Amino acid sequence: MSSPPISDEALIARVVVSDDRHAFGELVRRHQAAVRATLRKLAGGNTALADDLAQETFLLAYRKLKQFRQEARFSTWLYRIAYNVFLADARRMKELPMPEDADADELAPAENGASTSVSRQATLSVDLERAMRVLSDAERAAIVQCYHNDLSHEEAAVVLGCPVGTVKTHILRAKQKLKAHLGAWAPA
Amino acid sequence: MVKNEDDGGDWLESVLRAEGRAHRSAYIDDDGFSAAVIGRLPQPVTLPAWRRAAVVLMWLGAAIAAAVLVPDVFDQTFRSAVALFVGHRVGFSDIAGLVVLLAAMTWGSVVYAMRTD
Repeated sequence: MSSPPISDEALIARVVVSDDRHAFGELVRRHQAAVRATLRKLAGGNTALADDLAQETFLLAYRKLKQFRQEARFSTWLYRIAYNVFLADARRMKELPMPEDADADELAPAENGASTSVSRQATLSVDLERAMRVLSDAERAAIVQCYHNDLSHEEAAVVLGCPVGTVKTHILRAKQKLKAHLGAWAPA
Repeated sequence: MVKNEDDGGDWLESVLRAEGRAHRSAYIDDDGFSAAVIGRLPQPVTLPAWRRAAVVLMWLGAAIAAAVLVPDVFDQTFRSAVALFVGHRVGFSDIAGLVVLLAAMTWGSVVYAMRTD
């Protein structure tokens, strides 16, 4: 019979009290997929950049772990660090390089009548990924936190460090831009 | 905490929610990522084993040097300590002085030994 998994809180206590690196390693293993996936979305699909930023996120989390008050979920706290790391990198780089095809006026579904539902969904997913690149960093971050990470507006506001109203505004503007770029996908 | 309300028949809302579900269900394989993070953690601060013994020897040497260089002070301190233990009536100031001296030496030793630089 296997013992129940140790909670995040217990692992955090081990790291803070006795600098238990195995415990921190377990925390990294548990949350790496979500943090890396979030950063990949924020970085517009740049996998290498996202993984570098994810490493920085966890190193920063290790240094700041004593400051974690457990007022929010550990994952939410990590998302906030990840977003700050991403913003710092974006400021350093001035702007993320835009792929050549990202400024296409409007992304349209394939007209091939033989395309299946699965391939249609895959194409829509790719088009959505490309359309996300036209959003501002703040708009993209709001969409990623609320839809991809399934956070409430209140939780997203904590992660993004802005008022709830601002999150809602970013979502609204982002959806207007996405609709403009994905207009051909709208049902007739 | 209440999740964000669904915008009803908004097709983009449905697309984003479906994309979100796909995003959360897609697991990124660790593939050495965690090991790389652990490998980049700052090295733990550890004091060398010989350090404590060296500190004790240094303080012993300092005490001997003080006894040799200022014998009057050493003699007075020694006599006070002896008087304390052999039961002669000694003043409060003698006891307080000895306690302060011992406390200062202990505190100094501990602070020096616990330095991490």
